[in-house]
Amino acid sequence: MQIIINGKTYAANPGEKILDVARRNGIEIPTLCHSEALPGLASCRLCMVEVHENGRTQYVASCTYPVADGMEVFTNSEMIAARRKILLALYNLIAPDSARIKGLLARYHVEPFDRLEADPDSKCILCGLCVKACEELGTNAISTLNRGTKKKIGTAFNEPAADCIGCGSCAIICPTQAIEMTEAEGNRTIWEKTFELLRCRDCGEYFTTPESLEHVRKKLGETVGNIEELQLCNYCKTKRAATRLKDGLHLDEYLDSDK
Amino acid sequence: MSEISQIKSETLKIAQKYLPERRFLLAILQDIQRHYNYLPAEAMKTVAQYLNVPLVKVCGMATFYKAFSLTPKGKYIIKVCDGTACHIKGSLNLLSEIETILGIEPGETTADGLFSLETVACIGACGLAPVAVINDEYHGNLTPASLRQILQQYQGGIEDAK
Repeated sequence: MQIIINGKTYAANPGEKILDVARRNGIEIPTLCHSEALPGLASCRLCMVEVHENGRTQYVASCTYPVADGMEVFTNSEMIAARRKILLALYNLIAPDSARIKGLLARYHVEPFDRLEADPDSKCILCGLCVKACEELGTNAISTLNRGTKKKIGTAFNEPAADCIGCGSCAIICPTQAIEMTEAEGNRTIWEKTFELLRCRDCGEYFTTPESLEHVRKKLGETVGNIEELQLCNYCKTKRAATRLKDGLHLDEYLDSDK
Repeated sequence: MSEISQIKSETLKIAQKYLPERRFLLAILQDIQRHYNYLPAEAMKTVAQYLNVPLVKVCGMATFYKAFSLTPKGKYIIKVCDGTACHIKGSLNLLSEIETILGIEPGETTADGLFSLETVACIGACGLAPVAVINDEYHGNLTPASLRQILQQYQGGIEDAK
């Protein structure tokens, strides 16, 4: 299967989204609500592209639009560039402190709107990426609440969430750092709930909450290979895996014999 | 039986009319709203458990639709029409009159639990503009003065007299 992006032909696999193919080939499409770890949300609309298919022109969200053989995609047509600018200028108003949005503003030469005032207290662009992350990685502790101008992300009854395991996925994945997560003296506070932090078995750094670890353990069930490695921070986990790989390849022997 | 466990068992009775599948969440919430005139927190927890839906998703749906209320509604729900015709014919005067008499704004309920006030976009009775609906009773061609009289009748227990 092949698709044409900005005049060049690229190989694509059935089921892939336009964004996947574009990014794999180094074609730039900006996104805010996208994470490679999660399915596309089509929420921030920054990834909109122009698609020519079966003689029709459409403007679609590339993060959810599946590729079709022979489809022609334009990531930077006049219409797309204009829409992108408006979107970015608007996002800049609802998340004026976001470095990422500021970066995109500069990257796409967007003049900030001067006739509308930014809300200095607002950080969240309501893209819903945190909700998706909580669904997939956490425990469904947060969701969008209310609607219209009162729409927000929150926990059930706006109370410290009984379900929250303090994994921090929502805060880490948020494109505008709108979710407050603080860590001090071995405690992590998020969504007004405080968790104790565990130390990594190897390096001794705080790295996760016991609740998250328990959640992962339950989710993996019987398939979990090495329980002990769950108790390592990401850095030490990588280090151990690399060491194992090195030992397995007998690199030392290889290097010796090369001399 | 404590109030909480009573809500739980009543809710469960309502919920069990439906199969425990997520697609019935909206219908069950509607039935609970009809039963209690609002959605008690305990009822929402019970439904979440029954359908195996995360509680926060139930809250998400309950706060999304205007038909649901998380706080108890009054005995009489006053719906003041604020459609184009009623708006031009002075529905805002009706709202400020109600605020003067009852001290509530749209979305609020009086402390005695007698009245709740809502605005609706159009009830399709433009010929009677401005209109207010109190429970299922339509009151047309209202003026602040006639509305005041009608409210007094309700305060005096109009339904008991009927």
